[in-house]
Amino acid sequence: MPRLDRLPQINRNNLLMLPVQVNESAPRTPLPRPLAGCRLAIVTTAGLHRRADRPFGPGEQTFRVIPAETPAAEIVQSHTSLGFDRVPIMRDLNISFPIDRLRELAARGELGGVAPHHYSFVGAQRDLKRIEQETGPEVGRRLREEGVEAALVTPT
Amino acid sequence: MLARTLENAGIATTSISMVREHTEKTKPPRALFVPFPFGYALGRPNDSDLQHRVLRAALDLLAEPTGPVLRDFPEEAGPADEPAAPTQASGIAPGGAVADDPALETTQMRRYHEQWVAGGDGRTAFGLCGIPATRFRGVVRFLQAVAAGEEADMEERPAELPLPSFIRYCADDWKALYWEGRMAMKPTAGGDEIARWFWGETAAGQVLRRVRDRLDASDDPRWKAAAFGVAR
Repeated sequence: MPRLDRLPQINRNNLLMLPVQVNESAPRTPLPRPLAGCRLAIVTTAGLHRRADRPFGPGEQTFRVIPAETPAAEIVQSHTSLGFDRVPIMRDLNISFPIDRLRELAARGELGGVAPHHYSFVGAQRDLKRIEQETGPEVGRRLREEGVEAALVTPT
Repeated sequence: MLARTLENAGIATTSISMVREHTEKTKPPRALFVPFPFGYALGRPNDSDLQHRVLRAALDLLAEPTGPVLRDFPEEAGPADEPAAPTQASGIAPGGAVADDPALETTQMRRYHEQWVAGGDGRTAFGLCGIPATRFRGVVRFLQAVAAGEEADMEERPAELPLPSFIRYCADDWKALYWEGRMAMKPTAGGDEIARWFWGETAAGQVLRRVRDRLDASDDPRWKAAAFGVAR
């Protein structure tokens, strides 16, 4: 834990006490072709959404859709935990939602394309059942319908 | 867990991990552990070269022939250039010369906040409670009443939004106004510096400490959870 030792005690305790799922293996969907031919979406747990959308409430396991063309000024974060520094995302949305960087990769031909919609959940959850059984698979289905092969999962 | 769910649905995923110990247990299909402080997932704000290196390292994992794979981002941010995690309110003693007029202080901070919005690309973290900055004095009075232990509410609160959540959004907007205003006032200010200023030197910080205490004194877990998000 290279960084936990530099956190205020109260934040460190909060993290260490967070019960996390323990798995022995991982599912695997290989990329069907090189990334230069694939469409990629951002799926973030940073609690981002469009300004007009309802903010995330505590423990909420639903998601918000962020159309790719949404201007940065229209994206806000309702995950406002004191467990992380909010200054970097106030300065630059790309710190958790690297939409400009993905567009640059696509323009350079290193990425096949940026997905038409990105998806956002809110992190730091204790009960994840609904995301696991309902809202997560729903986002997976939507991504496939939108011709997306890969997702970058980002935290706040 | 989210990455595993998407992978099961037929999407190849790669994740950025901030807590290696958690990721070792949850085992997402592909993850890049980054040695950055919370809030800095892609490295540093407005450092597109570093962000591209992080992104490239995460995307390269998609070509790995087996999984799960958890790789460390090879660049270690040195202690000197790693921003400190912001100190929490409980670790900051209020200074001796704190003004006691939060409404006036807020009005003054608003001018700097307007500079912040005008100076950037129009982005602001302000806007969760639904009440515009120009009418924020009403929110300040409301939070002062909550801090004083009065039974306070606002007619602008949506009926379906629980009161403790509304209090939290009001507190979040108040902080956003001060945090971003402070960055307009002092463009080099980092998160820890702003936290020390807010909790140590502003009237708003002292009101929010008391709001926290009031929420925390409740037996209702939803009120207590809101307290932990206002100040800790």
